[in-house]
Amino acid sequence: MFRETTFTDIGRDRALDDASAGFVMDEDAFRAFYDRTARGLWAYLSRVTGDRQLAQDLLQETFYRFLRAAATHTSETHRRNSLYRIATNLARDARRRSLTHAPSSVAGDDIERVPSRQPEGAAEGRADLTRAMSHLKPRERAMLWLAYAEGASHQEIADVLGLRATSLKPMLFRARRRLADLLGRAPEGGKPCR
Amino acid sequence: MGQAVECQFESEVLSAVLQSRWPERVEAGLRAHVEQCAICSDVAAIAGAIDDAREEMRAEARVPDSGHVWWLAQMRARREAAAAAGRPITAAQVIAFGCAMALLGACFGATSAWFQSAFGRIQSLLPSTAALIAGHGVLVLAAAAMVILVPAAVYLAALRD
Repeated sequence: MFRETTFTDIGRDRALDDASAGFVMDEDAFRAFYDRTARGLWAYLSRVTGDRQLAQDLLQETFYRFLRAAATHTSETHRRNSLYRIATNLARDARRRSLTHAPSSVAGDDIERVPSRQPEGAAEGRADLTRAMSHLKPRERAMLWLAYAEGASHQEIADVLGLRATSLKPMLFRARRRLADLLGRAPEGGKPCR
Repeated sequence: MGQAVECQFESEVLSAVLQSRWPERVEAGLRAHVEQCAICSDVAAIAGAIDDAREEMRAEARVPDSGHVWWLAQMRARREAAAAAGRPITAAQVIAFGCAMALLGACFGATSAWFQSAFGRIQSLLPSTAALIAGHGVLVLAAAAMVILVPAAVYLAALRD
């Protein structure tokens, strides 16, 4: 509990100087990693939370927690999965807080309000997707986005969302089915082939 | 028997969609399969829509500059390090305050004639200290625990603030 009972000015200055020494990577490595992942992570957070501003706040918090986490990563994929896991937990916490304070908020509204420079058809298609996804649970949105926007494997999605890979398959199947139904693209008479 | 939740052609369909080969530039056999398979038709239907949305969102994303994020993280880490460094000082202050109070009390007890006479009267009313400890061991232990726990509680409260 008592970390240090004697704490000199020299020790204090050293602790402040070493504040970033506890980071999981140095500045150059961080900046390169950030440039590779920030846009994709922001899109993921925007889609999962349905709020662009919140996504930006969570983005910075995610990277900060990632830097402070005492973790060793074996590969770029592992590092990226850790980042998305932190982001997912933060988005879940933010959602719990918003449910406590403002239960009427609907995910997806904010994304639709932002004007787009895309052609009318593309913007309409995206609005349809946004509307449809807003009817899904946040975890369903997260797993669909990870699977089809980020190209993550079942195991990776399970790791990020804290699920078992065996549980993920039926959940992903149901989420996909629901989204296809909501988009009005469910096939006539189609049935699982096996 | 449960409903099938995956198909062996799923990844092939997904690749075709993400590589913009779907539906024109894929084998007729795969197209025919997708028409019959609910899983693959769902994949074909939503993967393209999500991929398009992803591209648009990534293009629109206004994320802070990496240098700015690094700088903010450093500032925050410094702030947190300073706060953490301040905590042992708070603990030391609490202990010092307790010691000072004990010293003041001892000085007062040693020098005050009124206190000494009052203490003598109380001592004559009470049984001897040894008898007190022997007879009221639990009470003495509780009092000792209070002496230790109260400063600890004060420290924890200061920590939470």
